[in-house]
Amino acid sequence: MPESLALVKGTLDVLVLKALSWTPMHGFEITSWLEDRSNQTLELKDSALYQALYRMEERGLVSADWGVTENKRRARYYTLTPAGREHLEAETSIFLRYSQVVTGILTGSSGSPEGAR
Amino acid sequence: MIRPGIRRLFHLPPPAGQVRPEDLDEEIRLHLELRAERLVQQGMPREEAWEEALRRFGPLDESRRALHDAARRREVRLGVREWLVGVRQDIRYAGRRLLRAPAFTTMAVLTLALGIGANTAIFSVVNTVLLRPVPYPALEELMVVWETDRVSGTSREPAAIQNFMDLREQNGSFSTLAAFVPLEMNFSANGAEPTRVPALAVTHDLLPMLGIRPLLGRPFTAEEDEAVGQMVLLGEHLWRRLGADPQVVGTTLRLNDVEHEVMGVVPDGAAFGMRQILSAADYGGAFAERDERAEVQLWVPLRPRATTLSRATHAAFQIGRLAPGVTVGAAAREMESLAAGLEALHRENTGRGSSVRRLADEVFGPVRPALMVLLGAVGLVLLIACANVANLLLARGAGRMQEIAVRSALGAQRRRLARLFLIETLMLSVSGALLGLAVAYVGLEQLARFAPADIPRIEQVGPDPLVLGATLALSVFMGIVFGLLPLLQSGCQDLDRALRSETGRGSTAGREKGRLRSGLVMAETALAIVLLVGAGLLVRSFWEIMRVDPGFTTEQVLKAEYQLPESRYPRDFSVWPAWTEVLAFQDALLEGARSLPGVRSVAIAGAHPLNAGFTNSFVIVGREAEASDWPEISVRQVTPGYFGTVGVTLLDGRTLEARDGSESPAVAVINQAARERFFPDQDPLGQRISFWGTDRAIVGVVGSEHTHGVTADAPPAVYVALSQAPSAQGTLLIRSEGDPVAHVRSVRSLVHEIDPGLAVFGIEPLSTTLARSVGQQRFLMVLLGLFALLAVVLAAIGVYGVLSYTVTQRTREIGIRMALGAPIRKVVWSAIAQSGGAAALGIVIGLAGAVLLSRLLSSFLYRVTTTDTMVLAGAPLLVALVAALAIYVPARRATQVDPAMALRSE
Repeated sequence: MPESLALVKGTLDVLVLKALSWTPMHGFEITSWLEDRSNQTLELKDSALYQALYRMEERGLVSADWGVTENKRRARYYTLTPAGREHLEAETSIFLRYSQVVTGILTGSSGSPEGAR
Repeated sequence: MIRPGIRRLFHLPPPAGQVRPEDLDEEIRLHLELRAERLVQQGMPREEAWEEALRRFGPLDESRRALHDAARRREVRLGVREWLVGVRQDIRYAGRRLLRAPAFTTMAVLTLALGIGANTAIFSVVNTVLLRPVPYPALEELMVVWETDRVSGTSREPAAIQNFMDLREQNGSFSTLAAFVPLEMNFSANGAEPTRVPALAVTHDLLPMLGIRPLLGRPFTAEEDEAVGQMVLLGEHLWRRLGADPQVVGTTLRLNDVEHEVMGVVPDGAAFGMRQILSAADYGGAFAERDERAEVQLWVPLRPRATTLSRATHAAFQIGRLAPGVTVGAAAREMESLAAGLEALHRENTGRGSSVRRLADEVFGPVRPALMVLLGAVGLVLLIACANVANLLLARGAGRMQEIAVRSALGAQRRRLARLFLIETLMLSVSGALLGLAVAYVGLEQLARFAPADIPRIEQVGPDPLVLGATLALSVFMGIVFGLLPLLQSGCQDLDRALRSETGRGSTAGREKGRLRSGLVMAETALAIVLLVGAGLLVRSFWEIMRVDPGFTTEQVLKAEYQLPESRYPRDFSVWPAWTEVLAFQDALLEGARSLPGVRSVAIAGAHPLNAGFTNSFVIVGREAEASDWPEISVRQVTPGYFGTVGVTLLDGRTLEARDGSESPAVAVINQAARERFFPDQDPLGQRISFWGTDRAIVGVVGSEHTHGVTADAPPAVYVALSQAPSAQGTLLIRSEGDPVAHVRSVRSLVHEIDPGLAVFGIEPLSTTLARSVGQQRFLMVLLGLFALLAVVLAAIGVYGVLSYTVTQRTREIGIRMALGAPIRKVVWSAIAQSGGAAALGIVIGLAGAVLLSRLLSSFLYRVTTTDTMVLAGAPLLVALVAALAIYVPARRATQVDPAMALRSE
């Protein structure tokens, strides 16, 4: 297993929203999806996940409803709302641009923009 | 439990989230279980798997708590939003319902408006006059120290300056004892026409003792009591009128023709209570006796000197602050013994004692009872208004039984129904309150304008935030109580009975309610009777007052007062009565007035007939020994034309005539009261009366004038000729044809011609002065009469409402009975009997209550007993008449019921 990475602050929300953009899921499904997708690299505390979910529910980015799993157990399913979808798109593009810029700085040559002296 | 997918498909709104703690735990537990299961699937032993799942979860309890809080917050927010939506719906629905029943709504709102408005107005007055904090700190320590006269029987006299100085020096009960003398000063702003401004001459410690600090400058000092230059403190109002110059200190003002240096500005309201003290005094009240709204605007130093006036002249009003630890009783006792000591030392103090009273009592004592009566009266009016509205609501409530039943059957919770009705009644009561506030505001303005001037702080009465808040709170409370009424009614009944009862006809429910409504009618009528009796007694009393013969006529008589300043009219007592300038002025004024067109007779008097003037001690030559038991006599300085001008009747001998000039022998005329008191079995004519250092022959007896007001006895008085006893202050009296007001301007210009620097004041018809002297009685009577009228109108509406409603409800029954051949009369009579009976019973109860409560009014009544037959008979008669009318109209309607229509109607 590759070394696990701690989650960068502020990215949990957008990751959860991404997960939900595929289909409504309950809490464990979201965790599993993220763990699979990241090849178990991301360290994710489940309690943090639920806090994020409740927070986003308050803000109206997701909505929740009780449903039934395949094994006939009662679970709370979270769904992406239109507002949430918008938020996801916006945050995604911001994050991608940011990481592009940071990557550029960190991997670029050490010279000044005007060329080396 | 609809799957989220289906929710989205059908665009159904998400349900109101109800995240209970159990749900949260369930969610977490599922997560842990699934995690554990997966770990087991991956090969971990079961117990380890659970541990691992827990570990992976993170801090369990902490997060549970945080999640609970978040969930709860959300629940609260959603709940609030839902509630607001519901309330908005209810408001709209209630508004529609109210608008669809305009008669009911208007009547309810108007009734409430009148009841609440009257209460708000009176409560505003009570709040401003009685409850507001007083400008003086520690009011309970301030005392008024009166002089009393055992012989005259007076108990509130101003003190002689020398007595005051002695008491100030000798007493131990007061940390400060100060004095003031009321004055009026001629003041002309920038050369404009001179006006009279009320002023107080005060000892230097008065303002500091009262805790009044000047806005600018400083109060007088003890040294200034000995100084020579004249100084003045400006009242704030006057200072503002003159331009509110911040550099006013140090400038000079011309008062009474003398330059006064301005030492500072005193805030408005500093003379709180002074006016009431002056009004309460037996005499010497100066401007307060004129009963105008004048406020003290000038403060000059009172420089008490033993030589200014004799110990026989009482001019100073004493206020003191109790020393710490001294009680009122102890102070009173000390002052009494000090006064006794002075009595032993000085002949002028014979019979003089001292009395100490609380300043608060002197100021509020006269008004408090009247205000309490008014407060009680408006409270009754409000009760009647509430009874009326309750009746109206009950009538409406009955009509809603079906609606309630149907709604309940459809699943509406009792709480929502309650909320709906509550909102409806709240809307009614709040609109009633808002309208009532408008009514109160208008009423207050009128009230403040016509109220007697000696009600403390009456000029400050106006809309008040405290009262506003209290009114709105009251209206909300009433709305809630009214709203709960119909629910209390329908609460105990089953749906079934409610559905069947329709509008309560004939069922037990209807009968119970009918009894409640009759009860309300009875209460209303009783309260209306109580108010009517109270008002009636005051009206009778006022009538009696107006019937009293004051001993003089005021028809077509105009009065105008003046005070001659010492600067141009020297007052040298050593040459009195030879005051040439004063005599010249008097002559010129008389002559000028006589030549005015339309004037029938003129006179000048030292004090006009409603001014108590002053008294003096005297002896009858030959009966000096008796003099020590005699009260002082009222001395009236008049010109010969006085008796004809104000219509004083001659009983014996002659009145003063032109021949009684300054060169002629000194004469005097006494009044009937003096004859009865001092010459019970002797002819006064020819006897000699001695005072002011002169013997005068009594040449006539005239009718007594009620110079102390119509309700008091006429005091014994002696009249002397102004030419033989000139006075620097006087009143010009003119009897003319037609309206005396027409001469106001000519009198002013006449005086201006004779002496341009002299201010004339108090120019008004004598009838106005007389009317104002009974101002308080009239004020109370008018207000109480208004409330009683309101009460009767409201009660009539109540009676009308009940019967009208009964008839409408019983239309079907009436129709059936008529169709079956029953005589109309019988049917209608039974309906009348119920409400008529209630009204009659109410009248009886009201009479009983009125007899009990009218005892509270006994102090306001003049020559009328609390069980006056005319009033006790008249009130029920009036109410019965009104009730009969209120019954007649719907009863007639009942007789015109068409049986066919009635049977068809539902």
